Amino acid sequence: MLDKEVYSTALKDALDEMRNACPDIQNAFIFTETGEIIAGDADISEKVMIRVIDAFDGVMERAEALGGIESVTIEGDRGTVTLSRFGENYLITAASEKADMKYVGTLTRVLIPTVLKVLEKLSPTPTKKAIISPKPAAEVEIEPLEVKEEPLEEIEEGARMEKPIEESKPEPDSTKSTSEALTVEPKATQLMVENLGGLRARGFLFPSDTVRIDSEILSEWENVFGGKPVEFVDIETFDGKVLRCKVKPIKDLKYNSKGVVQMSEKMQLALEIKKGELVRVKPVFE
Amino acid sequence: MTRKKLSEGVAAVAESVAVETVHTEDLKASLEEIKGYDGVIGYILRNSTSAAIELKDPSKLIEYAILSSSSLDAGEELSELFNLGDVKHIIINGKNIKVLSMTFSENKISVFIEKHGDLEKVLEKLQSFRG
Repeated sequence: MLDKEVYSTALKDALDEMRNACPDIQNAFIFTETGEIIAGDADISEKVMIRVIDAFDGVMERAEALGGIESVTIEGDRGTVTLSRFGENYLITAASEKADMKYVGTLTRVLIPTVLKVLEKLSPTPTKKAIISPKPAAEVEIEPLEVKEEPLEEIEEGARMEKPIEESKPEPDSTKSTSEALTVEPKATQLMVENLGGLRARGFLFPSDTVRIDSEILSEWENVFGGKPVEFVDIETFDGKVLRCKVKPIKDLKYNSKGVVQMSEKMQLALEIKKGELVRVKPVFE
Repeated sequence: MTRKKLSEGVAAVAESVAVETVHTEDLKASLEEIKGYDGVIGYILRNSTSAAIELKDPSKLIEYAILSSSSLDAGEELSELFNLGDVKHIIINGKNIKVLSMTFSENKISVFIEKHGDLEKVLEKLQSFRG
């Protein structure tokens, strides 16, 4: 199986070839829908790539209203920036004003999907880290999934308050999935509550029923479940309150790898917790 | 002499405001015409003092308004990052709907078009305002 590094190198080579074929492409990089940068050309710094992803974040968050995003083009006097979606991956290209954008479009639409398809064939879950499980499946902790009950009216759609775990009953069919991966549940991760900052906290740019956690943790969970994306998590307080909500990776570098879960103040109120307190966060696969 | 200069200044500002108002009204008139194009489902026109929103499905108003604002913000940010100069337009191709966003001095507009709609025709019409 290809590991992440080989996958990244292959895509980086593809981006370099793309720039060789069309020198008017000044920068190019690829990232996943979770915001993870897979490959970028040598002339663009990680800091800039993160700022670019962040700049597109608001558009991508709201693109559901358009049925999902396929591409975004920003044309200026001196160049054009394009975001193109290829499945779970996004390609950013920045081209000078001299560039023939039809040619650039054709090049990217042919080259990148071809490389991605080849890599997909070589590795079923190429963008995820290889699953390294020292224990056989039987030794992995298996917990029943909780029954989701009593939606909380005050919380927006998508977020639900549940009864404390002690009162929960096992869901009869969800644990009998034919997929072996779904019978294995990753252990909950203990994280410290952190506020979502600025406009995001007020729900203008980020839905208040969504939390952000470290992309590394999300990747680990996804690996355990054979690459299945984690869209929901259960946030459990030490008082036994459980809230199910959507999850996205943390974009702000200063909070990455800090063991925090960013959530809106509204959500903290619902869970009767505040910044600095610890909660258990567990992925949910529905 | 000073009073004359002041008077000329006030007149220039008044003229500028008048031109801006006319510009906004012209834009609005064009957007009303564009609204009748096949596949166009609405538009948002806003500036520092007013906003005009025309959507066939008002339930999407907030989503579209935030998307419009986000796309224009993204345009400014990316223009700075990649030295794109003045942003001519931003096009979002969604699976079902396309969005064309443009800025004309202080007027910011977004036009929402169905997948089959003719975005080029809308773009051509609006580009006449660039002069």
